[in-house]
Amino acid sequence: MKKKPVKKKTALKKPAVRSKKPVQPKTSLPPMSLSFDGTLATKTGTWRYLTPAYLNKLAPCNEGCPAGEDVEAAMVLSGQEDYIGAWEKITQENPLPRVCGRVCFHPCEAACNRKEYDEPTAINSLERFVGDFAFQAGKRFSPPAEKKNEKVAVVGSGPAGLSCAYHLASLGYGVTLFEALPRLGGMLRYGIPAYRLPKDVLDQEIDQILALGVEPRTNCRVGKDVKWEQLKKYDAVFVAAGAWRSLPLRVPGEESAGVMSGVTFLKKVNSGEPVDLGERVAIIGGGNTAMDAARSALRLGAKPLLIYRRTKEEMPAWEEEISEAEEEKIDFIFLTSPVNILSENGKVKEIECIRNLLGPPGKDGRREPRPIENSNFALPVDSVISAIGEAPDLSFLPPEFQKSKDTLPVDEAGATSLERVFAGGDVVAQPRTVSYAIGSGKKAAMAIDATLRGRNAAEAIRLARWGEKGSLSMARYRSGGGDGIAREVVRFTELNTAYFPRQARKPGEKLSSKERTKGFSEINRGLPPAAALFEAKRCFNCGVCNLCDNCFFFCPDLAISARPDRQGYEINYDYCKGCCICVEECPRGAISVEVKK
Amino acid sequence: MKKLLTGNSAISLGVMLCRAEVISAYPITPQTTIVEELSEIVADGRLKARFIRVESEHSALACVAAASAAGARVFTATSSHGLAYMHEMLHWTSGTRLPVVMVNANRAIGSPWNIWCDHSDSLSQRDTGWIQLYCQSAQEALDTVIQAFKIAEEVLLPVMVLEDGFFLSHTSDVVDVPEQKAVDSFLPPFKPRFKLSPEEPHTFNIMADPSMFINFKHDAQQAMNQAKKVIGRVDREFKTHFGRGYGYTGNVRLTDADVVLLTMGTAASTALEVVDAFRKQGKKVGLCRLRMFRPFPSEEVGRVLGKAKKVAVLDRDNSLGAGGIVAQELKAALYGAVQKPRIFEFIAGLGGRDITPQDIGEIFNYTKSHSSPNGAPIWMGIKK
Amino acid sequence: MNGIEPQAKELLDEYLHSGHGACPGCAMPVVLRTVFHALGGKTIAAITAGCFGTISGTYPASPIKIPAYNTPFPSAGAAGSGIRAALDAKGDTETTVVAVAGDGGTFDIGIQAISGAAERNDDYIFICYDNEAYMNTGIQRSSATPWGAWTTTTPPSELKAQPKKDIVQIMAAHHAPYVATASVAYPDDFVRKIRKAKETRGFKFIYTFSPCPVGWRFPSEMSIRLARLAVQTKIFPLYEVEDGERYTLSVEPEGIPVSEYLRPQGRFNFLREGDRERIQENVDREWERLMRRMNA
Repeated sequence: MKKKPVKKKTALKKPAVRSKKPVQPKTSLPPMSLSFDGTLATKTGTWRYLTPAYLNKLAPCNEGCPAGEDVEAAMVLSGQEDYIGAWEKITQENPLPRVCGRVCFHPCEAACNRKEYDEPTAINSLERFVGDFAFQAGKRFSPPAEKKNEKVAVVGSGPAGLSCAYHLASLGYGVTLFEALPRLGGMLRYGIPAYRLPKDVLDQEIDQILALGVEPRTNCRVGKDVKWEQLKKYDAVFVAAGAWRSLPLRVPGEESAGVMSGVTFLKKVNSGEPVDLGERVAIIGGGNTAMDAARSALRLGAKPLLIYRRTKEEMPAWEEEISEAEEEKIDFIFLTSPVNILSENGKVKEIECIRNLLGPPGKDGRREPRPIENSNFALPVDSVISAIGEAPDLSFLPPEFQKSKDTLPVDEAGATSLERVFAGGDVVAQPRTVSYAIGSGKKAAMAIDATLRGRNAAEAIRLARWGEKGSLSMARYRSGGGDGIAREVVRFTELNTAYFPRQARKPGEKLSSKERTKGFSEINRGLPPAAALFEAKRCFNCGVCNLCDNCFFFCPDLAISARPDRQGYEINYDYCKGCCICVEECPRGAISVEVKK
Repeated sequence: MKKLLTGNSAISLGVMLCRAEVISAYPITPQTTIVEELSEIVADGRLKARFIRVESEHSALACVAAASAAGARVFTATSSHGLAYMHEMLHWTSGTRLPVVMVNANRAIGSPWNIWCDHSDSLSQRDTGWIQLYCQSAQEALDTVIQAFKIAEEVLLPVMVLEDGFFLSHTSDVVDVPEQKAVDSFLPPFKPRFKLSPEEPHTFNIMADPSMFINFKHDAQQAMNQAKKVIGRVDREFKTHFGRGYGYTGNVRLTDADVVLLTMGTAASTALEVVDAFRKQGKKVGLCRLRMFRPFPSEEVGRVLGKAKKVAVLDRDNSLGAGGIVAQELKAALYGAVQKPRIFEFIAGLGGRDITPQDIGEIFNYTKSHSSPNGAPIWMGIKK
Repeated sequence: MNGIEPQAKELLDEYLHSGHGACPGCAMPVVLRTVFHALGGKTIAAITAGCFGTISGTYPASPIKIPAYNTPFPSAGAAGSGIRAALDAKGDTETTVVAVAGDGGTFDIGIQAISGAAERNDDYIFICYDNEAYMNTGIQRSSATPWGAWTTTTPPSELKAQPKKDIVQIMAAHHAPYVATASVAYPDDFVRKIRKAKETRGFKFIYTFSPCPVGWRFPSEMSIRLARLAVQTKIFPLYEVEDGERYTLSVEPEGIPVSEYLRPQGRFNFLREGDRERIQENVDREWERLMRRMNA
């Protein structure tokens, strides 16, 4: 039998008894599944197909302001109680906030998104508050950074001329301001009564503009006191002569003594000249001039009777004017037109009228009044004021001007057919309001500056637009349109009103009804400071981030954080999944969606 | 100090001596007196710990596992259905590599209801990644609890210490309870490398995707491999410190045995008497008590049993469709050995049925008188 | 701007990273941001399976900046207890423990462990973010799904026929020191409640509403809007319950009709004639019940 091979017994190694060294498995992993890194390597931004962005959209108030104010910025700063900052924003565009805050028809408030929610923000009252505040605080316009060599002539010192003079002076140009009447201001002084716009306020506003070095030449009518050719020595001319020619009534007796135009009447009143209206005065017309005339007449002691050919609903005057006139117990007669003014012994005795009914709309879309046969009746009156409309008087302009029948034609840049001659305000075809006039003065300043600097005026103006209603921004103009504000306007549906409690507007303070008609004291006393701040805080701040932190807080992906300058937020697109919660929860529509390309 | 203690009392004192910090357990027969005694020990301040009286076993293990992750030394105990209830947590705890020590009082799992000793409960959890050490006496149970904390905290795997329900948990024996100072010098405080802490934040148990999961599991397997060495080393250190050691197996009279009985738990005590009796009669029998079941001591059993002629495995459990679990594990361990005994499988003692000296004698005799097993395990004491 | 206004916030006190895997528009990260921001960095969170567990990371990256511990689905309540016990054993009285679970891990599979923790008055904050279904596994119905809602296990032919489980009542019945509902659409109230919970000793339960664009079928940008509508329609009233008996209303709802809340959600598109009225009646009745408790 073969011997089985004997396996050598190897001695088992005995491990040292006292060995206490812990034994570690050789591995680069931790024993258990632990995290060591954050998840920042996972760029979840690749999931996105809708991209939110801070498009800082345009607020509708900015678009709606014919004077081109950055209304929203002014509201935002006012909401932070920075009224000086708000004043600076306003006066960057409009040198007359204390005026506009008293007389503007505030289309900004009509456009205000808050109107769809409860009541529009009291922008107009706030403009007045800010203007008054800054004035009382001693704020005045800063002189221009640099002076330019060119000189510009501005014909007419109404709101259009004043605005143009201000902007040109701020741009460094020399400006001479020609004014036919004894004092500056145009319609602001000679049209609008003191109970709406106190004269001292107007003087203070104008003085500020003059302090920039604008040379005023009053009692100086172009075409009479100075010839048009003399203006040719200026590098550019802005014609803002306004619309002072009253439209005739075309009724017999119109030329009698005791019958005057609304414009003439108001000029006298606002110059402090005495006017004898007798006991009763008929005011023909339904616009603002008629209202101003009627209410001024009341304050002179006469009993005004306002005669208008259509109904109250069709009156073109501002609603506030009409309602205040009603509060002052001014009599209105509607659907009535004058047909004859009868005088006796050289004094007006009565006005014969005819009743109208409203026919179908005419070519301006408004229903035409049609006299009702044999409905004549007479009203005893001592004077008649005719305020059925005004038109510019273009006779002072040389024949080479292409003149249309009523207004001076201009292109989109406000340029006339003559080189380096621009026009604006009531003298051109645009709505006859202070704010439009101010806007057109600014446009002219832009056009003149662009032209003198060798740029395309129309293009420069186009880049300066706020929105689609023609409003222009000097801030935009100066920055070449690169101010970072998008051009789309934020609509109410883009807002998230869950973040706004419903709040009624704070009413401004007014003189009591009894006090009002005793004289020409200002009726509106404005908002007291607490109410002003309350109103400013009611502003939604449409389209502009005001650091409410919603987007920051609600982002599920922590993709929104402070911008380096901490003045806004930015989105980290490496991680933004495009859920758009930020867009939805932004109370003011400052974030919008772009579709990823 | 020597005291007369039940297994449960001895275990409770062991936990106290190890300065466990968070204890949470749900009572289930026959573990209940551990829960009761430990709640008293904590309540009267003998142990400064937090005792959470949870509402279920799943919560008990979830609670102590989380506490362990937060850096506390923890303990829990259960049995049978309770162990089954915390099944997913058993996997979770070992996967999280937490050094939880748990005593399981071996008891049958229903149905039918049965509260008595059976090894099916812990053996059916053998795949959950816990170290399993089966004790034969109250002394061993106390000592193994102390060793368990040291082993667990070194290899970062949880340790299950097993005691036979009722036979060990409720019977009294003389136990030498070590001094606190001695235990303190043997078992230092628990200082994990990774724990829940605001100073070093991690998210524990984050998902490991297919690229990583297998690596973690491989590392755990390496740890379990290391555990074999650590368990042996800790036992030797314990012997040096306290004078008692147990090894992976308890071997009695193996050298020239014709038949070696392999079993776990208190049945080994009974078998010891039978071995003595048979040896006096000249019958060459031996006993190998398996102490360390997980990790399975393949080399050791290969060494001590490889040369045996016949091994009778006494399983106090059954895996339906496969047979006794210890027998299967033994066969798998010896498969690659050059020399293998013939293995005879016996199933006895399920549901607390007493394993008598007669039963063991029959096992020895049967094994001796048969040249080879007849295939199926032999069930002892089935009433016809 | 001229700098007078407080400056835009940086991500300084935030404890989540960008780059996590939540669905676009998910409100749950906003819930968690609010909670962690209110609690600060000395906080440990126990988290469990669910949408949050799913976004808690894949090795080795996690979006969570505080220490956190993932535990199996039923055990968020127990894990919170365990972490708290460990900190107490170490003498740490400063670190806050929170357990976070969705409606599944709170109302259903997790309710046992939470009930145990509440009954024991274990000192931690339990946050439930309720997206009203088992969203993580694919929009299956839970006991928090509202009556009449579509889910993948309540198809149009068998919409959810049971009312939502009133978890606030269940937790209040445990006499927990502080139980409150909170909504991401009311962040100041939410932060206040979290801070109040932090200062309260004992078990605190904060129940938050977490709109889910994917499961409720609405455009992702509307999550916060729906959370607000839920409060305003009285479907999810904001209130606190102290010691199980003192009720305080946090926000007076406007009382918008529930149809405003139901309409944008595709999951309610299968309601039949009369169902919306029934929902309104139920909401009104539950509100009355709440008012009676509040005034008792």
